[in-house]
Amino acid sequence: MRRKDLLGLKNMPAEEITEILDTAVGFRAISERRIKKVPTLRGRTVVTFFMENSTRTRLSFDLAAKRLSADTLGFSASSSATNKGETLMDTARNIDAMKPDAIIIRHSAAGSPHMLAKAFPWTVINAGDGINEHPSQALLDMLTMRDHLGDLAGKRVAIVGDVFHSRVARSNIFGLQTMGAEVVVAGPGTMCPPDMAHLGVEVRHRIDDVVEDADVIMMLRIQQERLGAAMMSTNREYSQFYGLDLDRLRLASPETLVMHPGPINRGVEMTPDVADGTQSVILEQVTNGVAIRMALLYLLLGGEPLGEDHA
Amino acid sequence: MPEPILLRGGRVVCPVTATDGVLDVHIVDGVVAEVGADLAAAGAREIDCTHAIVAPGWTDLGTELCDPGMCYREDLISGSEAGAAGGFTTLVASPATDPVVDTPAVAADVVARAKTVSGAQVMQSGALTIGLAGERLAEVGLMVEAGCVALADGRRTLADADVLRRVLQYVRPFDVPVLLRPGEPSLEKGGVMHEGAASMHAGLRGIPAAAEELGIARIVALVRATGTRVHLTHVTTASGVARVRAAKADGLPLTAAVPARHLLLNDQAVEASVYDTATRLLPPLRAEADRLACLAAVRDGTLDTITADHVPWTRVEKELEFMHASPGANGLETALGAAWAALEGEAATVVQALAVGPAAVIGRTAQVAVGAPADLVVFHPKREWPVAAPYRSRGGFDPLAGRSLPAAVGLTLVAGEVVYGPRTD
Repeated sequence: MRRKDLLGLKNMPAEEITEILDTAVGFRAISERRIKKVPTLRGRTVVTFFMENSTRTRLSFDLAAKRLSADTLGFSASSSATNKGETLMDTARNIDAMKPDAIIIRHSAAGSPHMLAKAFPWTVINAGDGINEHPSQALLDMLTMRDHLGDLAGKRVAIVGDVFHSRVARSNIFGLQTMGAEVVVAGPGTMCPPDMAHLGVEVRHRIDDVVEDADVIMMLRIQQERLGAAMMSTNREYSQFYGLDLDRLRLASPETLVMHPGPINRGVEMTPDVADGTQSVILEQVTNGVAIRMALLYLLLGGEPLGEDHA
Repeated sequence: MPEPILLRGGRVVCPVTATDGVLDVHIVDGVVAEVGADLAAAGAREIDCTHAIVAPGWTDLGTELCDPGMCYREDLISGSEAGAAGGFTTLVASPATDPVVDTPAVAADVVARAKTVSGAQVMQSGALTIGLAGERLAEVGLMVEAGCVALADGRRTLADADVLRRVLQYVRPFDVPVLLRPGEPSLEKGGVMHEGAASMHAGLRGIPAAAEELGIARIVALVRATGTRVHLTHVTTASGVARVRAAKADGLPLTAAVPARHLLLNDQAVEASVYDTATRLLPPLRAEADRLACLAAVRDGTLDTITADHVPWTRVEKELEFMHASPGANGLETALGAAWAALEGEAATVVQALAVGPAAVIGRTAQVAVGAPADLVVFHPKREWPVAAPYRSRGGFDPLAGRSLPAAVGLTLVAGEVVYGPRTD
C-alpha cells in the first residue's frame, strides 16, 4: 500500500481494502499470545491527537501502536472554538517539531486530517472527522462481516439510525460499495434525508423495511445530546420505530449479523437480549479493531515484515 | 487634470448606446470627448487597444473594504487598487466595518478618506440598523446627507420581518438603493457549504437552497407591501432566481446580483480542493443546476448584475478547519475573468452585468459616450492569466487560485486618469 495517509474510504480501491483486511488477520494472532508484542515499529513515534471524547478508539489505536513496539504519545483537548487558544495548525506545528512518524487524529471538524496531511510529512490517520469519515471503524466492521459472510460482494447491509450524522455509516457506505455490497439505510426522515441516495444507498424509513433481507444489521448510536432542535422526539418513539428487539430480529435470518460501533444505548437502539444475543458480533468488532489498527500502522509506516522477529 | 488620451482601435462595447465595433475613444479633461473611427487627436497619449475591448468600468455593490477597523484585511486604498486591477471604476463599500458605518460621523470620515484613493472610486453605504444588529434603525437620513450613496444590511440578513418592514417603510423617502442579502439565519446556522449531493459526499453540514428562497420571498413580500426599491446582493439558486423572475414580472422594484465565481464554480469545488477553505463562502457555491440557472438568468436579465463578492480574509481566519474558517474570499481581481469564462465571452452580457446593471442601481449610467465620465476598462479577451498570490488585495484567499482565467485587464481609467495599467508609455 503506497500512501502516506489514511483519510477515508471514499476513494480507496478494493485491492487496498483487501490488503488491509488480510494484514489484520495476521495481526489478530498476536493479540492471542501471552506476549502480545512484535518489534515491527520499534523506535517509531505515534501520536494520538483526540480533540473529541473517545475512550475505545483512542485506547484501541494506542494499544495497536504499543503492540507493534512503537512509542506512543497522547494529546487530547476539547474541541472548542478556534479563537480560544492555539489553532489546530499551530498545535500540529508544535507536534511536528518533535518529529513524530504518525498522527492519529479525531476532530469535530471534517477535513481536519486532510488539512494536516497536506501540510506535514508524517502519516495522518483519520480516527473520525466530524460527520465525514471514520475509516478504521468501517474497516474493522468489514473484517467482521467478511469473517462470517465471506466475500462481501452481493451482500446486503442495513444501517439503521442517525445515518446522516454518522461518520461510521459514511465510511461503511463507501467501503462496502467498493467491495460490491449493497447498502440500505433506515432512520427517521431527519436522519435519513432523501439526499442520502446520492451516496448510492437505498433510503427507507422503518427498520421493519430493512431487516428481512439483510445479511448484516448495523445499528447506530443515537446521540441525543448532539442533535439540534426537532431532530427526533423521545427515545421511546425512536425505539418503537427504529429499535432492534428480538421480535424484529426474528424477521431476519438466523445468520444475520447484528453489529454496533459502540457504545450502545441499551433499550434505545437495541434491547439487551439482542446486544448480548447469539447474532451479535459487537465484541468481535472491538477485537478486530485492534488488529485493523495494527495493520494500518504497519502498512502506512512500512514496518519490518512480519516474518522473522516474533517474540 | 489628466493628460488627454486616445484609445486606438479597440472594440468598444457599450450596451447603453448599443455600440459594438472597432472605434477610437478620445478622452479630454476626464470626460469622453469623441468616439469614432480613425480619430485624429493631436497631443493625446495614444494607447494601442488592438484586439482589446473598451468598455465602461465595472461597479461593485457591497464590497467589503474592512475600513475602518479591520485594515489588516483590507483598507480603502488596497481595496481601491484591487478593484482597479479587476476593471472596477466604482466600489460601493459595505458598512460592515468596525465601528460599523451607522452614524453620520463614521460615514463622513470614510467618505472623506475615500476621496484620497487612487484606484477605483470608493463610495460608502450606510448600515440600515445600529451595529447591523437588525434591531433599531440607524441614522440613515443623516448618513445619506453625509455622503452615503446606498443603505445596506452588510450581509447580516435582516430576518425579523417586522423590523425589515419598518426599515423599508422608513428608508423609502430617502430614495437611495437598499442592498440586502436574502437568507434565513435559522436554516443557515451550522451549515458550511450548499446542502446537496456534494455536501453529503464531503461529510459537511449544508445550507439548503430553501434558506435563500425563503429570504427572497420575505423581501419580495415586503417590497410589495412597502414599494421600497431593493437590490438583492446575492442570488445563487435556481429557486431564488425563479422568485426574482416572478417578482419582476409583477413589476416590483427589485434588482438582483450573482457573484461572478458562482457562475463558474459549483459545490463540487469543496471536495475537489480537499476542503480548501478558500471555497468556504457565504452564500456557498451551489449545485450545478443552480449555477446553470443563474447563468441563464444573467443572460435574460433576471439577474441584473454580477458582483465581485469580495470578502478578503487573511491566514488568521482561513488557516483553520473548514467549519471554523471565516466564509468569504477575494473577488475584485478575478470577477471579470470568472464572468468572461462562464459567459463564454459574450461581451455585451458581461459589460451589462458588471457595469451597466450595478451602476443603474445607484442611479448612474455606465457608458462610453461623448460627455460621460471616462470611467473605462480596457481588457484583452483572449489573454489568459494565472490567478495566484501576491494579490493587490490584502486578502490572501481566492477559490480560483491555481487556475488560468481569460480577459486580462490592460488598463483602467477613472475620470480619464490611469488607475491601473501603464501610467506612461
